[in-house]
Amino acid sequence: MAGEIQRQNSHIYDYIGGNGYDREDQSLRRRRVSSPASDQNYPHFNWDSTPEDEDEDSDGGPKRDIRCIPLPMHLRRTIREVQQMRSPAVSRDASWKGRQMLRKLRNKCKEFLYFFSLWRKSVQMIGGNFGGGVQSYFVFLRFLVVLNFVSFFLIAGFVLIPSVVFRSTNHHQPTSNSTDILTFGNNSNETNSTEQFMVYEVNQKTPFYQYLLDFLSGTGFMEYSYLFYGYYNITEMPNRDFSYNIPLAYILTAVFYFAFCLICVIARMGTAARVAVATGSSTGVSSYSMIVFTGWDYGCLGDRATKLKQKNILYQLQVDLEEESRKRHEADLSTSKKVILYSLRVLMTVLSLGFIGGAFYGIYRATQFSQETTDKRKIVQLIIQYLPSMVITAGNFLVPLLCDKLALVEKYSPSTTIILALLRAVFLRLVSLAVLLYTLWNQITCGGINTKKDRKLCLDNHTEFQCWETRVGQEMYKLTMFDLLITVAVFLLVEFPRRLVVDNCSCKPVQWVGRQEFVVPSNVLGLVYGQTVVWVGALFCPLLPAINTLKFVILFYCKKITLFQNCRPALKTFRSTTSTFFFLVVLLFGWGLATVVLIYSLSEIRPSYGCGPFHSSSTMWSTVPGSFHNLSNVTQEFLFFVGSQAFSIPLFALSIVVMCYVIALATVYGRSIALLKAQLKLESRDKQFLIKQIESLSRQAHIPTHHAGVQD
Amino acid sequence: MGTTASQLSKESLSEYQELTFLTKQEILLAHKRFTELLEKHEKDQIDARVSMGKIITLPELKSNPFKERICQVFSTSEQKDGSLTFEDFLDLLSAFSDSATLEIKSHYAFRIFDFDDDGTLDCADLEKLVNCLTGETNDAKLSSTEMKQLISNILEESDIDKDGTVNLSEFQHVISRSPDFVSSFKIVL
Repeated sequence: MAGEIQRQNSHIYDYIGGNGYDREDQSLRRRRVSSPASDQNYPHFNWDSTPEDEDEDSDGGPKRDIRCIPLPMHLRRTIREVQQMRSPAVSRDASWKGRQMLRKLRNKCKEFLYFFSLWRKSVQMIGGNFGGGVQSYFVFLRFLVVLNFVSFFLIAGFVLIPSVVFRSTNHHQPTSNSTDILTFGNNSNETNSTEQFMVYEVNQKTPFYQYLLDFLSGTGFMEYSYLFYGYYNITEMPNRDFSYNIPLAYILTAVFYFAFCLICVIARMGTAARVAVATGSSTGVSSYSMIVFTGWDYGCLGDRATKLKQKNILYQLQVDLEEESRKRHEADLSTSKKVILYSLRVLMTVLSLGFIGGAFYGIYRATQFSQETTDKRKIVQLIIQYLPSMVITAGNFLVPLLCDKLALVEKYSPSTTIILALLRAVFLRLVSLAVLLYTLWNQITCGGINTKKDRKLCLDNHTEFQCWETRVGQEMYKLTMFDLLITVAVFLLVEFPRRLVVDNCSCKPVQWVGRQEFVVPSNVLGLVYGQTVVWVGALFCPLLPAINTLKFVILFYCKKITLFQNCRPALKTFRSTTSTFFFLVVLLFGWGLATVVLIYSLSEIRPSYGCGPFHSSSTMWSTVPGSFHNLSNVTQEFLFFVGSQAFSIPLFALSIVVMCYVIALATVYGRSIALLKAQLKLESRDKQFLIKQIESLSRQAHIPTHHAGVQD
Repeated sequence: MGTTASQLSKESLSEYQELTFLTKQEILLAHKRFTELLEKHEKDQIDARVSMGKIITLPELKSNPFKERICQVFSTSEQKDGSLTFEDFLDLLSAFSDSATLEIKSHYAFRIFDFDDDGTLDCADLEKLVNCLTGETNDAKLSSTEMKQLISNILEESDIDKDGTVNLSEFQHVISRSPDFVSSFKIVL
C-alpha cells in the first residue's frame, strides 16, 4: 500500500470522480493517455493540492472532503493525517472551529431525533417487505398524526386552557366583573330584538344507549362541552390587570393553525418538489436506463420481498418494451380507426362526468333530507343523521369502480390511465365534500339572503339553527366518526373473512378474486379526505384535531395489521418520491377548500345569537379590528405601514426581480448542460478519427503499432 | 488502529464518526453485529477479517442479488476474496447510509455493477446486471430479443459519447436525474 501511495505522489493525477463537472476541464487537459483504463474511473488524490483549494469547494471545512472521497478507510485516514500535518494553522482558525461546533451540534440533534422518530422500525419493515410505494403511504400517515398532535397543542394552549381556567374561576368568584352573558336571560345589545338565549338542558336520567348515540352524533351531553363552538364564551378577565380576550384568541388561533399546517406541508414538500421539478422536464422518468440503474431497492428484506421486487422490475421492463412496440404499431393506424378511438374517448369522458354529477346530486338530496326530517325513534334518527356520510362513502366507492371499467374502453397508456383515475377520484372526493358544505350553507343562510330582517325571519323559522356553528361542527364530527367506524368495520368484517375464505376454499371463482391488494392511491385519498374534513371543522369543533390524531393512530395499526395478514403485494408499483410529492399536492387542494370555507365563515356569515364567543358581533372577523385599536400607537402605525401601498408595491417589484433572476439562472444551466453534452460527443468523435488516422498511417508505413498503449 | 478489543475505544469511535457518514449509534451497532460474526479466538485480534461467506449471511444482505459484488467492491484484501475487516464493513455501511452524498453512492453503485472490473459498463456487464435484477430462473428472464432491444435502448439513452460502453460520468449523469436513487440505495442495520 505504501508503494502505491508513493507512485501516486510522483504522477500528478487529478482527483476524478465525485465532484461533477467543475474539475472536468482540468482532468481532460491533464489526463495521460497512457494510464491504464481501470485507473480512469477510480479516484486519485492530488497530494500536491493546497488546503485552501479544498476549503473553497466544501462548506463544512476540510473534514467534509474526507468523507466524500471514495477510498478505503485506511487511505482516508492517511490523507487526513497528511492534511493535518501540512496545515496546522487552519485548524486553529476560529471560523473552522465554529464549523466544527456546528457539525457536532447537528450530529447531536440527529441522535436526539433518532429516538423520537415514531414507528421507525415498523415503517422500515413495511418498506422492506412491500416496497417504497406502500411505505410512502405509512410515512404520509405518520406525518399527519404528528401534524394533528402538534396543532392540538396549539389550540389547547391558546383557546382551551384559558376557557377552562376562566370557567373555573367564574364558578369560584360569582361576583367578578366578567361578562358571562350566559347567566343572563336577555341581551339588550340589539335594540329591536329580544332573542331568547339557548338554555342548554342536560337531562340527568338518560339510558345508556342514549349516551352511545349522543357520542356518535355529537348531540346531547357532547354538544354542551368543550368539543363544540357553542360552549365557549366571551371572556375578558378584567380583574388583576390581566385580560385575555377569548374571541380574539379563538380567531387568531384558527388562522394561525391554518398557516402552520400550510408551512408544514410545504416544508415537507421541500426536497421532493425540487427533485420532481428538476427531473420532470427531462426525458420520461421511467426510461430504461433509469429502471436498470436505479430500480433496485437495497432495503429489501427476505427472499419473498426480493423475488417480488425482481418480478416487479421484470414486469416494468416487459410493459415498457411492449408499449414501445405498440406505439410503433399505433403510428401506422388508419385514419378511420383513429377517429373511432378519439370519439370513444370523448364519450367515456362525458359518461364519467355524468357519473360524478349523479353522485353529487345524490349527496345534495341526502343532506337536505337529513337536515329537514326528524324521527321519534332513536335508531332511525341516527341513521338519518348519518345519511350524508353514507351517501358520500357509497359514491366514493362506486364511481371509481365504474370509471375503471370506462378506462378499459379508453385504451390510454398505463401511466396515463393511472393518473386519470387518480384525478377523477380526487375530484370526486373533494367536490362531494364541497357539495355537502354548500347544502349546509343553504340551510344556514336560507339561500343566501343577506339582509338582516329576512335573515332573522329565516333563522326564527328554523328553530334548530339557533346555533349553526355547533351544527356544522357536529356534521364534521359525524363525518370523522363515520369514516373511522367504516374503516374498522371493513377491517373486521370484510378483510379478515376474505382472507380466511381465500386460504381455505380452493374453488375457481374464489381463487380468481384472490387475496386483497393494498391499493395505495385510494388509501391516500381517504387520508386526504379525512384531513380536509378536520380542517373544515376545526373552527367549529376545536377538539377535532385531537380526535383526528386518535383516529389516525388507530388507522395506522389497523392498516399495518391488515397489510401483513391479509394482503398480497401489488404487481404494479407506485414510485415513492414522486408519489410523496403528489400526496402533498393533493393535501394542499384539501387545505385550499378548507381555507375558502374558513374565510367565508369568518367574514360573511353572521354568528348565531344564541351561543359562542361571537354572538354580539356582526361577523366573526369584526372582533379583530375592534381589539386592534387597543394596541399602542406605534404598533398601529407600523401595521398600517406594512399594509399600505408604499410597502407592498416595492416588495412585489423586488420579488418579481428575484424570480426573473432565478429563471434566467435555470435557463443558463440547462444550456450549459446541452453544450457540455455536445462537447463530449465531439471529443469522442475526434478520438475515434485520430485512432483511425493512426491505424491507416501505420499500415501505410508498415510500422507495428502498440495497440495496448493506444486503444483506451 | 483498529478494533483492539471487543469494545471500541472512545478515540476510535470519534475517529470513525469523522471519517464516515455514520452516527455514533450506527457505529456501535455495526461493531456489535460484526463481532457476532467473528470466531471466539478472533474477537481480540486487530484487523480480523470475516470471509465473504459469513458476511452474506447477514439478514440485510442475504437475499440481495448483488451481495457478492458488494463484498468484493468494499474488500481491501490482497487475495480479492471479498473478505471484510471492520473498517471495510464501516465503509460499506457508510456508503449505504442515510447521509452519504449522491456522488459517493453513484460511485460505488458503478463499481458494483461493473462485473468485470474494467472501469466501464459494456454489453456483457449490462446483461449480467439485468439478469440480476430480474432473477436468474428461466421463466423470470427476458427473452433474448427483448434483452437485445433493452440493451440497445439503454446504450442509446445513456451512452453520450457513443463508444458502446457507459463510463462513470455518463452513469452519474443518469443517476442524477433519478429522484429515488438516494433513498433506495440504503442498507440500515
